[in-house]
Amino acid sequence: MDPLVPTREIYWNIPLIGVVVMYLLAAASVGVFGHGVYQHFRMWRLGQPVDRLTPVWPRLRSVLLHVAAHGRLLADRTSGIYHLALFWGFAFLLVGTMVVFVQADLRLPIMRGAFYLYFQSLALDLMGAAATAGVAAALVMRYIFKSPRLRRGILSDGVILWLLGAILVTGFLVEGLRIAGTRDPWGPWSPVGYQISVLAGMVGMSPSTVRDSHAILWWVHFALSMVFIAYIPRSKLFHLLLAPVNVYLRPLADAGSPRLVDFEKVERFGASAFSDLTWKDLFDLDVCTECGRCTALCPANTTGKLLSPMHVVLDLRDEMKRTGRASAPTLAGGVVQAEALWGCTTCLACMEACPVFIEHVPKIVEMRRYLAMEEAVVPDLMGEALRSLEARGHPFRGAGIARTAWAEGLEVKSLPSGDAAEWLLWVGCAAAMNERNHSTLRALVRVLHAGGVDLAILGDEETCTGDPARAMGNEYLFQTLARQNIETLDRYRVKKIVTACPHCYNTFKHTYPQMGGRYEVWHHSQLLAHLVEAGRIAPAAPTDSIVAFHDPCYLGRHNGEYAAPRGVLRAIPGVRTVEISHCRENGFCCGAGGGLYWSEDRTGQRINHVRTDQAVASGAQIVATACPFCMLMIEDGVAARETPVRPLDIAELLDRSITGSR
Amino acid sequence: MDVVVCLKQVVDPELPVRDFAVDPGTQRQVREGRPLVISTYDENALEVALQLKDASGAKVKVLTLGPQAAVGDAIRLALAMGADEAIVVDDPRAPELSGAEKARMLAAAIRRIGHADLVLTGCESADWVERVVAPLLAEDLDAACVTFVSRVESGDGAPVVRRLVEDGCHLVEVRLPAVLSVTSDESNRPRLPKVKDIMAAKRKPVHTWSPADLTCSSAGDPGAGVEVRGVVVPERTSRCEFLSGDPAEQVAALAQRLRDQKLL
Amino acid sequence: MPDILVVATAPDGKLSRSSLELVAGAHAISGPLGLGVTALLLGTGPGLADAPQVLHHHGVARVLRVDHPLLTAGESDAYLRAIEKAARAERPEIVLVSADTMGRDIAARLAWRLGAALVTECFELAAGDGAVVARRQVYGGRAVATMAVTRRPAVFSIKPRSLDVPAPAPVPGTVEDLAVEMDPGDLPTRVRQVLREQSDVGLEDAQVVVGGGRGMGGPDGFAQLGELASVLGGAVGASRPPADSGWVPLSWQVGQTGKTIRPALYVAVGISGATQHVAGVSGSRVIVAINRDPEAPIFSVAHLGIVADYREIVPPLIAKIKELKGL
Repeated sequence: MDPLVPTREIYWNIPLIGVVVMYLLAAASVGVFGHGVYQHFRMWRLGQPVDRLTPVWPRLRSVLLHVAAHGRLLADRTSGIYHLALFWGFAFLLVGTMVVFVQADLRLPIMRGAFYLYFQSLALDLMGAAATAGVAAALVMRYIFKSPRLRRGILSDGVILWLLGAILVTGFLVEGLRIAGTRDPWGPWSPVGYQISVLAGMVGMSPSTVRDSHAILWWVHFALSMVFIAYIPRSKLFHLLLAPVNVYLRPLADAGSPRLVDFEKVERFGASAFSDLTWKDLFDLDVCTECGRCTALCPANTTGKLLSPMHVVLDLRDEMKRTGRASAPTLAGGVVQAEALWGCTTCLACMEACPVFIEHVPKIVEMRRYLAMEEAVVPDLMGEALRSLEARGHPFRGAGIARTAWAEGLEVKSLPSGDAAEWLLWVGCAAAMNERNHSTLRALVRVLHAGGVDLAILGDEETCTGDPARAMGNEYLFQTLARQNIETLDRYRVKKIVTACPHCYNTFKHTYPQMGGRYEVWHHSQLLAHLVEAGRIAPAAPTDSIVAFHDPCYLGRHNGEYAAPRGVLRAIPGVRTVEISHCRENGFCCGAGGGLYWSEDRTGQRINHVRTDQAVASGAQIVATACPFCMLMIEDGVAARETPVRPLDIAELLDRSITGSR
Repeated sequence: MDVVVCLKQVVDPELPVRDFAVDPGTQRQVREGRPLVISTYDENALEVALQLKDASGAKVKVLTLGPQAAVGDAIRLALAMGADEAIVVDDPRAPELSGAEKARMLAAAIRRIGHADLVLTGCESADWVERVVAPLLAEDLDAACVTFVSRVESGDGAPVVRRLVEDGCHLVEVRLPAVLSVTSDESNRPRLPKVKDIMAAKRKPVHTWSPADLTCSSAGDPGAGVEVRGVVVPERTSRCEFLSGDPAEQVAALAQRLRDQKLL
Repeated sequence: MPDILVVATAPDGKLSRSSLELVAGAHAISGPLGLGVTALLLGTGPGLADAPQVLHHHGVARVLRVDHPLLTAGESDAYLRAIEKAARAERPEIVLVSADTMGRDIAARLAWRLGAALVTECFELAAGDGAVVARRQVYGGRAVATMAVTRRPAVFSIKPRSLDVPAPAPVPGTVEDLAVEMDPGDLPTRVRQVLREQSDVGLEDAQVVVGGGRGMGGPDGFAQLGELASVLGGAVGASRPPADSGWVPLSWQVGQTGKTIRPALYVAVGISGATQHVAGVSGSRVIVAINRDPEAPIFSVAHLGIVADYREIVPPLIAKIKELKGL
């Protein structure tokens, strides 16, 4: 070799026969790896079809943000940082290995010169060191600080970390011994390896010891690496390959919603066998790294309920591994307990937190569908809500008030009376049937009128959007109600809808279009923010209060709207805003989502009480809401906690500021 | 075992107060434009029948009296919950008939159906609340009768039913054929229909008969000599009457008021 | 003499309270219709010897007594046979039956067998122009129907606790024993077992419910409410906070996420009146609210209100009611 060209001899100290054996063993390891991947692939293929390959560019953007830049992982700052080190460390080392392959097997002389020095030597050593530090940090977090969200006592978790650590350490040792053994002039360009070679000298290792140790460690390093490769598809290491793909396959709009059911075509409703789930659902199960972030943020789990999103995924995964095929319908209520399924508020905290973009909620709802539609067994209170929906078009049994009771004495146009208007104000059952929300509606109408909005209501011809039925798994009832509403809306030629209920908003925005009902829909916070910004509403009377906004899950996480309500609040003079500890993407559910308004919530702490405590702790005097369900839950919370903090809808706050009324 | 369940469709009892009105001509509630539901306890009766079907393979038929156009939803729901077939006696006068007149027609319909070991009805209808249909059916059909039943336990031998009373229940052995009126209880919450059954219900047989097809027993005119003089919604004071004075005076006033209202 | 026949039952040998209520009803119409009143006393047991005296004490001179071992609690078919036999012999113009457990089984069937006119579940009886005018609740208590019956014979069933027990008006009276032949094999239904249960008996069917709320302050106050419910002849319920806090069983909860009730009388003690609770009781005929807070929303749905601490009201109220009811 030309000593003036920086490079190194590949396979120094390894005889030719060794190299041949190496290739054979490598081939075997890759074969085992391939077989493992194929086993998984066979299971994924059992799932229903779904299109997740297009559109391409937004998906690639997600991969860049979340894989390369670790967008979600950094939400947990400490582990995010050391995982970043691990990830990029190994990424560089992988490229380095490819370079050796290209040099040795494809015989392209790239591993030389400045590239060799700066990349193959310096960069790889530094990144390898970063990776090693990452492994060390992970071991400390798991075994010394015992991070609470991680599962305890699982052998493979430890094995994986020690395996990675051993590969890295033996790699450095091999490098160091090679530098010592070849008296590599470019040695110092690999700082870690170089220090090891110096150490070897200081310890007085003889040249033959150096060669022998090098050879042994080389084989150890090789063997561990081959074990690693074969182990990938058989452990959570599979996420190395699957996670970036899963980010690409992520749901783009309407992340939490389950798919629309075609009742004419489908044989079984809901999911209770693996073949009822989509291939993406099954793929999800293999991506889980058991990090526990989802369960740590789940409002049900943190208040003491049985539901753990991570365990839903892992129980399904373990069953999939165990049976290895489509299986009989035993998932809903069997592999995943019914109590867990019925404890989900569909708030999407789990999905927002998951660094590998697993979709927990749609699977839960699919299994609920099986229980609700195939077995017709749902918790009692939900059953009564469903019966009420069926019989009288709203889920609030015992309400006994007319849908238009809130509007008595208020001048508002009505489509059934023959009026026409630009906007339809969709009232929703939670607002119409619960007196607390009547003042919100009246305030909203006053404010919209003040802003010059031409609106009308549907009055008694409104029937529930069907969202509660959908959340409870009765998709059939949902579609029946939806079709009825679409027929009514189209009959009145409705084009634009504004609603104060995020559940109705979400349904109009994402699900009705799939059934042929296409309308431009705004949440009232968005329309109010728009009017304020355009100067059409001028809040004047000051409200001297500290106000915290409680993000409704169906406006925030489900639809990404965090700014509009805050814009409305900021426009009210005298309002000082504070944020609750868990806010925006990290918001804590009020407990009413997923149909759970119709549940007892008697296990552990009440979700709405915990949320109320968080709101009180923020120092706010007023909790601003933008959802009729949140309003009812927080009213219940402040009454139970006997605190002077009061919930008010943003429309009520704005109304007071415009009219000066209390 | 052959079971017939009598169902009645009534105006939703949870109707907002403001929508409740009485038609002075018919002396009955105005039904026009109001939502209709199966009378509450009739659903419990149907559930009891379906539990018998689950336990011992009984055949369950539902029978209803009413204008054909109005009863569709009730029949569909009953068939979706699991009834095997439905019979509708299409009589536009049905909402105005008294319990006794209805019982006579139902009995005639049941005779025409042929065989019934058990006839189940709700213990009272949500509207007229007479509680007479089951006992009168029993007489007309020459059957045994137990009212306010919550559960039927049929083993070998005569069935035993659980009759709910003020301070507990009686277990009553019943000779078939029997007419039972059913009241609600934890054990007979009406089931939710499975979606497959909702879809399959469309294919279950529904027979429609007219009153002329029925031979009513000639027990005279049940309605003779009984006249509905008026059906009145009492004046409801929307203001709360606060009782004043010291506690002793308030207590005395309250007790007197309760007495006046026949609540003591 | 053509008569009003009052069906008085004494299943354990003791005259039932509702029998005396029927006597009051009979007295109310006997004058205007020019009819006498005869009591048909049915039952078994040693107490049956003295029971006629109670009837005489309340103004019923003529008592027909049927003492048969089959006339035990709940044995409706035995009672029906006995009453039918007596009625065919006596040929009364009017028969009054209590609309209690047995009356619900019996009244209509008796009317059928006698070819009589029938009005059930009445809360008031009056007479005028030869007709018996009965009033009954309809449409879940939202309306009152007035029925006028001119046909004879006529059977009326009266809701228990609608009429007041009459003031004593002793008259010299007679007792005739009537023999009725009955074998167990004649009865198409037989009571196999009587189970007494203390638990939340028919909160949904109770005519009177006393509900306690957060204002009760703890489980102890509910004992008082239990006593109040008991003297009123009803059941105890609760709004959500006491159920949540474990002061009362969950099954006592009334409201949107609990039971929906429609009693004739609902007494709300220490209940604020949140919509979710009111939704479960708004159908009650009369709502009485007792609460320290004059602004409590419950007062906007109550008919009668007392602004006071329940501890100052409930004990004297219990005493007063006992006094009025002669308990």
